[in-house]
Amino acid sequence: MLAIETNDLTYRAGKDFELRELCLKVREGAIYGFLGPNGAGKTTTIRLLLGLQRANSGRISVLGHDVPRHVHRALAETGYVPERPHLYPYLTVGEAIRYHGAFWKGFDHGYAGELIEMFGMPEHQRLARLSKGEMGKLHMLLVLAQRPKLLVLDEPTDGLDPVVRRDVLTALLDFCSQGSTTVFISSHLVHELERICDWVGVLDRGRLVTELPMHSFKQGIKRLRVSRAPSLLGDTPFVLLLREQTPFDEIWVVRGWQAPMTQWFEGAGAELKEVVDLDLEEGFVEMLRASRSTSGL
Amino acid sequence: MTFGPDCISVPIHQNSWRGILFRQIDPRSPIPLYVQIANRLRVAIATGEMAPGTALPSVRNLAAVIRVNPATVVQAYRELEQAGVVESRQGAGTFVRDLAESRRESERKREARRLVQRMVQEASGLGVTHEDLESAWQAELTKRGS
Repeated sequence: MLAIETNDLTYRAGKDFELRELCLKVREGAIYGFLGPNGAGKTTTIRLLLGLQRANSGRISVLGHDVPRHVHRALAETGYVPERPHLYPYLTVGEAIRYHGAFWKGFDHGYAGELIEMFGMPEHQRLARLSKGEMGKLHMLLVLAQRPKLLVLDEPTDGLDPVVRRDVLTALLDFCSQGSTTVFISSHLVHELERICDWVGVLDRGRLVTELPMHSFKQGIKRLRVSRAPSLLGDTPFVLLLREQTPFDEIWVVRGWQAPMTQWFEGAGAELKEVVDLDLEEGFVEMLRASRSTSGL
Repeated sequence: MTFGPDCISVPIHQNSWRGILFRQIDPRSPIPLYVQIANRLRVAIATGEMAPGTALPSVRNLAAVIRVNPATVVQAYRELEQAGVVESRQGAGTFVRDLAESRRESERKREARRLVQRMVQEASGLGVTHEDLESAWQAELTKRGS
């Protein structure tokens, strides 16, 4: 079953920005990393999913509920940490928890107390006096104590120091191992996503460039060093994303790579000198370069 | 045990030996994380670092300590169980099985082969010849042996 599904979702804002025919599929129980450079449309997509903005066309389903028609049903089971969350600065930590809890049916005050302890949060401190890191922990605490079926996190660790980031992620993962929560997490902190996500979607300039299980993404994308390659290639068993000349040989970036494909090079009269593994960040960057060069931008 | 004035105690889930055991886990490697975790445990079992009957950390605990997806830990444990090096007991957890010495030896050799493979691969990527590698290898062994 899918926790989030969009079909041909299109949204325009002025002449310069468009989300075009977005088809997202987020499986239930997945930790889905939504990657993209600044301005790619990640936050807009999230706002559309939660009914905060209206699409021009296309369909959205969240936890099986049609959005925006039944968005209230979806939201009742969704924990959302926006890019810039709003909390009243004159409340204390304890008051903010009680205030937030009043809006959610299944809010777990016991669990909120455990998280306060785990995070070492000052319960009687006013929010205006909390550090950025403590605010980050508080936002995570509030959504986790909702015990939601779906967590939508928009850059949840952006601007937090490494110690706080660790605490926040540890709490998130601890919550995930208690049940089958789906997590949709947007971030440009790629290394963090690489640890925890089992799916990745890459958004660039309003288009979904790819959506794959993490291991397929990482296994499939390689940098190859090739020599004596003919300038015209016939059919390749992989997808050639980029081809660059160097003084000695050529560098290819390919997608859909599998080890037996090394044999293809002999048949093509070329020599494969090296297969270089790419981590998520390098794969992400190469994929963006390729998608931009083919779309003629 | 006594603690000095500068020593603070922290909750076990944040600072346990399990995290130290897995410090070499590399999320950036193309080897899937669950394979890396399973391999690390296989080695710890084969070398005796984890004795027979030792309980593996709970999925919840390990996922939080090394900050990986709980599903990844589940997959690693499932692989270890299929390989017959651990057994899960209903409601109690997952435990290291008592392996025959021959089995432990073959696991250790497997790891040794993996280490050497990685070294040779890296060397050829850098253009270091096998002869150079061989003599460096001998020199290092002599140094350690002395």
